[in-house]
Amino acid sequence: MASAEGAEPTADDRGERGSAPSLLALIRVVLHKQFLLLVRYPLNTASQFATIFAFFLVIFYSGRAVAGASLTDSLDGLIVGFFLWTMATVAYAGLSWNVTREAQWGTLERLFMSPHGFGRVMGVKTGVNILLSFLWGGVMLALMMAVTGRILAVDPLTVVPLLLLTLGSVVGIGFAFAGLALVFKRVENLFQLVQFAFVGLIAAPVGEIPALRLLPMSHGSYLTSQAMAEGIPLWGMPAWELGLLLATSISYLLAGYACFHLAQRRSRREGLLGQY
Amino acid sequence: MTANPPARAPALRVDGLAKRFGEGAEAVQAVDGVSLSVEHGEVLGVLGPNGAGKTTAIKSMLGLVLPDAGSVEVCGVDVHDDPAHAYRHVDAMLEGARNVYWRLTVRENLRYFAGLGGVDPDRLTERHDRLLESLDLADVADTVVNELSRGMKQKVSLATTLSRDVDVVFLDEPTLGLDVESSIELRSELRRLAERENVTIVLCSHDMAVIEAVCDRIVILQDGRVIADDSMSELVNVLREKRFSVTTAGPIDDELAATLQERFDATIREPAAQRGDESGPKHEAEESAVTIDATGIDAEAAADLLDALRSAGRPLLDVETAEPTLEDVFLRLTESGSGDGSESTAASVGDQPDDAAAGDTEVIADGER
Repeated sequence: MASAEGAEPTADDRGERGSAPSLLALIRVVLHKQFLLLVRYPLNTASQFATIFAFFLVIFYSGRAVAGASLTDSLDGLIVGFFLWTMATVAYAGLSWNVTREAQWGTLERLFMSPHGFGRVMGVKTGVNILLSFLWGGVMLALMMAVTGRILAVDPLTVVPLLLLTLGSVVGIGFAFAGLALVFKRVENLFQLVQFAFVGLIAAPVGEIPALRLLPMSHGSYLTSQAMAEGIPLWGMPAWELGLLLATSISYLLAGYACFHLAQRRSRREGLLGQY
Repeated sequence: MTANPPARAPALRVDGLAKRFGEGAEAVQAVDGVSLSVEHGEVLGVLGPNGAGKTTAIKSMLGLVLPDAGSVEVCGVDVHDDPAHAYRHVDAMLEGARNVYWRLTVRENLRYFAGLGGVDPDRLTERHDRLLESLDLADVADTVVNELSRGMKQKVSLATTLSRDVDVVFLDEPTLGLDVESSIELRSELRRLAERENVTIVLCSHDMAVIEAVCDRIVILQDGRVIADDSMSELVNVLREKRFSVTTAGPIDDELAATLQERFDATIREPAAQRGDESGPKHEAEESAVTIDATGIDAEAAADLLDALRSAGRPLLDVETAEPTLEDVFLRLTESGSGDGSESTAASVGDQPDDAAAGDTEVIADGER
């Protein structure tokens, strides 16, 4: 069947259909959507943010009442820990919760049908989530420093790469649990547990038990803490420590994505992708 | 006029598609060897009773469900081997009002899905304006979808599916929840897309009026298999036998009855009173009325039938002709279509979308979407 006679040439006639998708267009619309939601519904994210900040205030003021001046010794670690927890929560929730929500809304199948490929779409969404996590993390850090009066070293050239590598393993965990949600559905309670498990991972005593460096986030948290509390620059850190961080981060990221990939295949095999 | 190159692959080619859910005695063969081919610019209607496997078949064609066997090509690209490449050519509306972002406005949704489809939304502003206009959404273009009625949300979903230019569009129950006016607008938009833009449309619906008005060809699925695949006109011509009914005062004697059956293959319906139809007082002639039905006879034969009755001195009380609808065609095919001893489930048209296996339960947090 052909176009109606005399009709204007269509995109099909002009050969525009089926052309390679523009990555820039994808990044633009995903960013724009996040921005719109942030501006239009600020309370959604802010409430989660406020919970973490309130939690920090409770620990800070009660700790000061109990421990007095000696709290100062652990204050830097506390601030860095909450800073990382905020970022990790935003980056992780943006993946695991978001995939669950998209399945509920019926939009997950549409993401899957993007000509960019599901992997690239999820990659761009993750990138935007990490940007968002930097935004919320930055606000949280500024507030914590203002409340405590303690100013930490925030050298972007050191802190940003360390944070990105630390969040790499968080994203891996996010992918793994998003995959679980695709197959098993209704695993939100587990999501919450994982968010609290981050506290343990961030606070793991890597200095005393070196093997804990292999856990997700723990080594990154340790190095970020050294950079921000003690002002050690990236180039002042042992190469093997950075190498190990890079290796664990990439490993968790790849392992998490592999889980997600396997889960989406299983979900499609069982006809569950769009279900909730 | 668009001239498709002779070597151009069909818009959609499905070969031996099969999908089974579950194991052992519990297993359900949702799709069982479906094969079909759809040309560019053709509108294919997919019909079937509830549980016939329509949604699973469509999702398997789109790669959203991994089939056990068979292959699917969209514009010559294998959907399961190279899904991302195939999705350059195809988009789908699968879950009606559910599959858009309710916290974004109508226009923002259109732009988002255009970008998701890999096209800079700025390049599509004109297309989006026209779509919004033709689907009567222009007035609410800047309204957050959450504030719209179900029917409007359904139209937004359709608009986002058409937000970029693709070769093939799958639409599953696009008219569910639409009012009559919107449904008619949708029909004309779909025909325009097929005829003017050469878009191939695979339309799955329980709405026979839409299928009849829009589709060039119909595929009927039952128990996961294709039980009919023909052009709309052929399907209707084969089955749409005009019924000619004459009501006369009874009784009909045996000789006349034999004549009517032999010459016109007519069937004789009993008087109304004998059928137990006693609603309200009736004239004596009406009480003994007999209706003679002859199916598939031409005008000349109908005149002969009337002559035969007159010659036998039977007064004519009523004469009518009736054309079965597509719904009748569908019901007749699905009632006789199972053919293998499995129970036919012919069909409650106008019901909810099918497929327990691939269906959905809507819960949730729609305020957050």
